Amino acid sequence: MKNPFRKDLVSRSRPEACTVVIFGATGDLTHRKLVPALYNLQVEGALPAGVRIVGFARRDKSDQEFRTGLEELNKKVSRSGHDDTIWSEFEQTIHYHQSEFQDEEGYQRLAERLDEIDRERGGKGNRLFYIASAPSFFDDVLEHLKKAGLNKNKEGCWARVIVEKPFGTDLPTAQHLNEVVSRTFEEEDTYRIDHYLGKETAQNIMVLRFANAIFEPLWNNNYISHIQITCAENLGMEGGRGGYYDKAGALRDMVQNHLLQLLSLVAMEPPTDLSADGVRDEKVKVLRSMRQWDTPELVAENVVRGQYIAGHVDGEKVVGYREEDRVDPESMTESYVALKVLIDTWRWSEVPFYVRMGKQLPKKATEISVHFKEPPTVLFNALAGGVPGGNVLVIRIQPDEGISLRMVSKIPGASLRLEPVKMDFHYSTSFGKGSPEAYERLLLDCMAGDATLFARRDEVEEAWKFIDHIEHAWHNSEEPPPMAEFVAGTWGPKEADDLLKKSGHKWRRL
Amino acid sequence: MLDKCTRALGKEVAVGSVDQELRLLWEEDKASTNASLMNLAVYSEEDDAILKNSEIVQAITKEHACRAILIGIDRDASDASIRAWITAHCHLSRQGSKSVCCEQIAFQLTGRATGRLRNTVFAHLNSDLPLVFWWQGELSDIFTERLYSLIDRFIFDSAQWSEPLLSLQKINRMLGEGVGLAPMDLEWTRSYQARLALAALFDDPLAAQALEYTQQIRIVVHPDHRMAGMQVLAWIVQSTGWQRSRDLGLCGDQDNSDTEDRFYFETHQGSDVTVRVEYDASSATLGLVELSSADCVVRVSREVGSAYMHQQLEAGAHQIDRLVPAASDDASELVADQLSRGGKNTLYRTMLPVYLDLLK
Repeated sequence: MKNPFRKDLVSRSRPEACTVVIFGATGDLTHRKLVPALYNLQVEGALPAGVRIVGFARRDKSDQEFRTGLEELNKKVSRSGHDDTIWSEFEQTIHYHQSEFQDEEGYQRLAERLDEIDRERGGKGNRLFYIASAPSFFDDVLEHLKKAGLNKNKEGCWARVIVEKPFGTDLPTAQHLNEVVSRTFEEEDTYRIDHYLGKETAQNIMVLRFANAIFEPLWNNNYISHIQITCAENLGMEGGRGGYYDKAGALRDMVQNHLLQLLSLVAMEPPTDLSADGVRDEKVKVLRSMRQWDTPELVAENVVRGQYIAGHVDGEKVVGYREEDRVDPESMTESYVALKVLIDTWRWSEVPFYVRMGKQLPKKATEISVHFKEPPTVLFNALAGGVPGGNVLVIRIQPDEGISLRMVSKIPGASLRLEPVKMDFHYSTSFGKGSPEAYERLLLDCMAGDATLFARRDEVEEAWKFIDHIEHAWHNSEEPPPMAEFVAGTWGPKEADDLLKKSGHKWRRL
Repeated sequence: MLDKCTRALGKEVAVGSVDQELRLLWEEDKASTNASLMNLAVYSEEDDAILKNSEIVQAITKEHACRAILIGIDRDASDASIRAWITAHCHLSRQGSKSVCCEQIAFQLTGRATGRLRNTVFAHLNSDLPLVFWWQGELSDIFTERLYSLIDRFIFDSAQWSEPLLSLQKINRMLGEGVGLAPMDLEWTRSYQARLALAALFDDPLAAQALEYTQQIRIVVHPDHRMAGMQVLAWIVQSTGWQRSRDLGLCGDQDNSDTEDRFYFETHQGSDVTVRVEYDASSATLGLVELSSADCVVRVSREVGSAYMHQQLEAGAHQIDRLVPAASDDASELVADQLSRGGKNTLYRTMLPVYLDLLK
C-alpha cells in the first residue's frame, strides 16, 4: 500500500521494517560494526519502526547478557556516542538465539521465534539474514535456513540474505557458495557485502565522474597515462589476525574484493540508470575485460608479491611477517602485493592500472590516483627542466577523505619557472558533519531492497577468475615467481618499483 | 551597545579594503585552513543583531564551512553610513589535526540602504560558491527581484512574521516567476522530524489502511509556532489529496479562535475529518500530531525541552511506541540542519499553495 507521506520527504529508497538475524552474533563484527550501525540509525530516526534484531550464535547466553555485552562495546565505538535513554529502548528490540550452526532443530526454533516476533510486532514478516559467521559455516547456515523454510518470502514479505566476505577463497569455492546461495535465495534477495562500497568517498567516485562534465571527456586512453590504486596499512598481524591472514594473503583479502570494486567504479562506462543492475552491469564489464595473467611468466612480469621483514613503523620496532603470531615461519603468503591490470576495452586500451596493497607500510591510506598524460613537447616542455609532472587527480578513500588535483603553475618572478601546485578538497574541512559508517548505509539499503552497493554473483566470479590465475602461478606452478622482501615501514619491495619503471611510471608518494 | 561590543566582530576595517584586510588576516595565520563551501549572508533589521548573529555563525561554521557576511541595517537612521569588520571562526577538524577557519565580514548600515546593501553583499561574495541568504524578521521592501534573483537558497522564518499570509504570498509570487531559488522556511524545518516520524508510521500497513478512514486530526503547537501547525496540516492535506468541505460545497468550513483553529475535510473514501489545530502555551514548539480513525491512532508527540519525540501507533493489539529524534529549537542548529539537506525543497513548494489556502 502506497504511503502518500513519503513523497519527496527523503531522497533515498525507503527501508522496510524487518527482523535482522545475525549469524555469528558473538563475534567482533556484530559488536563493533553491525549493532552500533543499527543503533546509530535508531538515534537518527532512520531505522524503520518495528525492526528487531536476533543474534544467532553457539555460546549460551540470555537476551540480557547479550544486550549487556553489546552495550559495553557500543559505548566505546558508536559514532554518535551512547545515549542511555535511546539504548534502553533500542536494546528491547535485541534478542539472543542459542544454537549450533549445524543444528537443524535450532533453525526450527528460530523460525518459531521469528513468527512470534512477527505476531508481537503485528506487522509484516520481513527477514534479513546476516551471515557474519566464520566462512566455514556459510554452507550450513544457508542449507539449514532452507530446510527450516526461512528462505521463502512470506506473502507480501521478503527474506533477504547478506553474506560477509570472504565470498569464497577462489573461483570454485565462490561458485560453490553462489550455488548454495542461489539454491536458497533468489539473486535479487542476495546481498554480498563489500563495506568499501558503503564508504562515502567510494560512492562519490560515480558522482565525480558523471555529475561533472569536465572529467568524462578526459577519462580515457587519449588523456590518461595510468591509474594507481593504493591501499596501505601501517599495522601487521596484531590481535591474532595472523591465523586468518596467513591463509588468505593480501591478494585475496583486499584486492579480490575491495580494490577491484574500486577499480571497476573508476573504469566503468556510464550506466544507463542508477538502478542496481544498471550500475552492476557496467562494473562487471570492466572485470570481464581485465587481461588475464594466466601463465606463471605473465604473473612474474605483472605481479609482485612480498613480505615485510623486521623494521620500524611509526617509530616502533616491528617483527617480520614470518615472525608474527600465528603465522607459519616458512609462510609463502604475501603481506604485500602490487600488480598491473590492463583493461581491454576501447576506452582503456594500454592504460595500466597499478594496484598495490600492503601491511606494515609507513602509513594508513587508501586512494586512487589518476595520472594524466604530459602535455605535448612544445612550449613549456622546451624549457630547461620541462613541465614538472603531469596532472594528477587523487581520490582519497580513507582516512583523510577528499579529492585533490595537481597542476602546474608559474612561480612568481621575472623568469619562467614552473612548479606543481595542488587544489585540495577535504571532506572533514568542508563538511564538519561526520559521514555515516559504511554499514549504516548498507544495512538501510538492504532493508530498502537496493542492491546497487552490493556485489553481484558475476562480479564476484569474474574477480576470482582473475585472482585465481595469480594464486595458481604462485602456489601451484613448477617455477613460481619469487617472494620479494622489504623492510617494514618502507613503501614495499624494489621489485614493485621496477614493475612501474618498465613503463616509465613510478608510484605516487603518499 | 554596538560600539561597546564590536570587539566580538573582529577588526574594524574600511569598507573599501575588506578583501585586502582578509588577505592580511590569512597571511598572519599560516597554520589555519581557510574553508568555504558557500556564501552565507545573514540579514537583520533588528538593533545589534549582528553581534548575536556572529555567535550563531560561529556555531554554524562547525559543520558548514562558508564565507559569512553579516548585515545589520538601521533603516530609520537619518544619516547614511556603513562600517565593516572582519574576523574568522576557527574550529578543529574532526580528526583534530587541523584548525579550519571560515571568514566573516560584518556590515552595519544606516539610512536608506536598498542599493548599498545589494552592492555591498555582492561585492564580497566568494565567486562560484552558492549564495545562501538568511533573512531574519519581517520581509521588508528591500527584498526585491534585484536581490533575490542572485540568491541560491533563501532562509527565512515564517514564525517571525506578523502577517505571514502577505509575506508568503510574496514568496509564492517570487517562486512563480521561475526564480531558481530554493525557499527554506525554518518553521518548516522545525516540523521536519515530526513529519519524518509520522510518515514512517504510515509505512505500517494497518496505519496505511486506516488513513482514508481518518476522523480526527489533532495538532498542538506553541502559540509562537502557529505556522508550524498549519504547515503540518497543509502537508497532510497536500499528500493525501483530501478536499476541504468548503470546496465540496458542504457546510462547515472552518472555525477560528485564539486557542484553536478548526478545519473540515473529506477523504477520498468520504470520511469526514475534523482538524483541530490547538495553540497551547505549555506545549513544545510542535507538541502533538495525531490522526485517529475508529481502529487506529497514529501519534507523534514531544514534551517541552525534550530532545526526542514519541512515535506511537495503536491499532488494537498492534502497538508501536518508540523514541525518535526531535528537531532542535536552536536557530543555528535549524539552519545547520537545513543546510545539511540541500536540495530544492520541492515539498515546501508543493505544500505552499495549500498552506496559503489554509491561512486565508
